[in-house]
Amino acid sequence: MTITLHDYSLSGSCYKVRLMLGFLGLDYDRRQVDFYPGRQHKRPEFLAINPLGQLPVLEDDGLVLRDAQAILCHLANRYDGGGTWLPRDPARFGPVMMWLMFAGGELMAASSARLHDVMSYDLDIDAARRSARAAFRVLDDHLTHREIDGATWIVGDHPTIADLACFPYVALSGDGGIGHEEYPAIRNWLREFRKLPGFHAMSGIPEYV
Amino acid sequence: MPPDQWNAVALDSQIRASSSNPVIVNDYAVALWRSASGQVNAWEDRCPHRGMRLSLGFVEGEQLRCIYHGWGYAPDGQCRQIPAHPDLTPPKTICARRHAVERRYGLIWTNLADDPQAALPDLGADEGWVAVRSIFLTGGVQEARKAVAGDLAEWDGTVSDGDVVTLEMPDGTRLAAAFQPVDAGSTGVHFVARGPAATAEGRHGLARQVVQLRNRIENN
Ligand SMILES: N[C@@H](CCC(=O)N[C@@H](CS)C(=O)NCC(=O)O)C(=O)O
Ligand code: FES
Repeated sequence: MTITLHDYSLSGSCYKVRLMLGFLGLDYDRRQVDFYPGRQHKRPEFLAINPLGQLPVLEDDGLVLRDAQAILCHLANRYDGGGTWLPRDPARFGPVMMWLMFAGGELMAASSARLHDVMSYDLDIDAARRSARAAFRVLDDHLTHREIDGATWIVGDHPTIADLACFPYVALSGDGGIGHEEYPAIRNWLREFRKLPGFHAMSGIPEYV
Repeated sequence: MPPDQWNAVALDSQIRASSSNPVIVNDYAVALWRSASGQVNAWEDRCPHRGMRLSLGFVEGEQLRCIYHGWGYAPDGQCRQIPAHPDLTPPKTICARRHAVERRYGLIWTNLADDPQAALPDLGADEGWVAVRSIFLTGGVQEARKAVAGDLAEWDGTVSDGDVVTLEMPDGTRLAAAFQPVDAGSTGVHFVARGPAATAEGRHGLARQVVQLRNRIENN
């Protein structure tokens, strides 16, 4: 039984899945999709596995899953026996889901800004940066209160898929013209995330801490 | 010529040991870094080698290492190692540009003047100040100071206006707001407190009130 990831190296969303697979120590096949400039994710063969025409897609034991957040839930549910990445107790499950949706929702404005700057996407860059900054502020405000409690992670006392899903586009935001100057709590959280055992970098995110 | 002026640039507690941080003061980019042993440094955010931002670098012991080619700089600014030439003693002329930096009242302050003479703002005893939080407001520093002082005047207590705006609260807590001119369009405001509210619970409460202040100022 093999896991197959339809992947693009420079995609922050694919990076979410690669990070999770790495943290869980899972082997997988990487199918490189020529996202830019090839736009292979809009071709019929790819639309057959994801009609939304988006990366990432994960195939696992007959399942074909799209959406990074859904894939993180699947991997944690199936392979993380200890339940640390996806806690099931009521005090943490809801908050983890809430921040996971935030990662796939509001925070994706930072991805749009990056697609504009790096891959020449035609979109309203000012609006994208404004929305991304508003989302960063929500996260920084939350993490500021976590720091007062001496806590590091978005929910609970160890990293969860909420941290993992929020990490890539916040870390990569400089590529979209959004610096980290105004988000001190975010900076500290990013640094701690990069120190996690099993963490690996991607282009635009330094390995060193 | 940068003005001979101390500006708060961060909460001391938010600049962690072994970290390098981007900070902007009067349009000038600073790498604010703290060594493993806790020593704080404010340098021009520019590697002497090829100009990479040093705030993107990483700290190894007492050295700041540039992310680009890994050159390592000691707190005196001197380059001490060049990984591509491990046997070479780097010439003394390779030196990062350093600026005056102080820790006081739970804040980190820098003065970008070449030969700083000005005194730090005086808030009395240094002990007991704790971090509340930082906020960033749109607009220049004059505008931001006026807005913050105006908002604090509506809180219970007595406001003193100055380089640092302070509020004496009825329970004896002192709240201080110190300003960081970022550029014409942005100002950092760093809040610290001393007295009965300098507890975890008190800091949560004050931090929430400061966010409300930010929201009121932005909605005005
Ligand atoms: N909801 C998806 C969105 C992922 C996403 O935006 N993927 C980008 C690549 S990073 C993409 O495929 N964009 C193509 C498109 O939306 O047309 C997820 O979180 O996985
Ligand atoms: S630019 Fe800093 S080491 Fe080369």
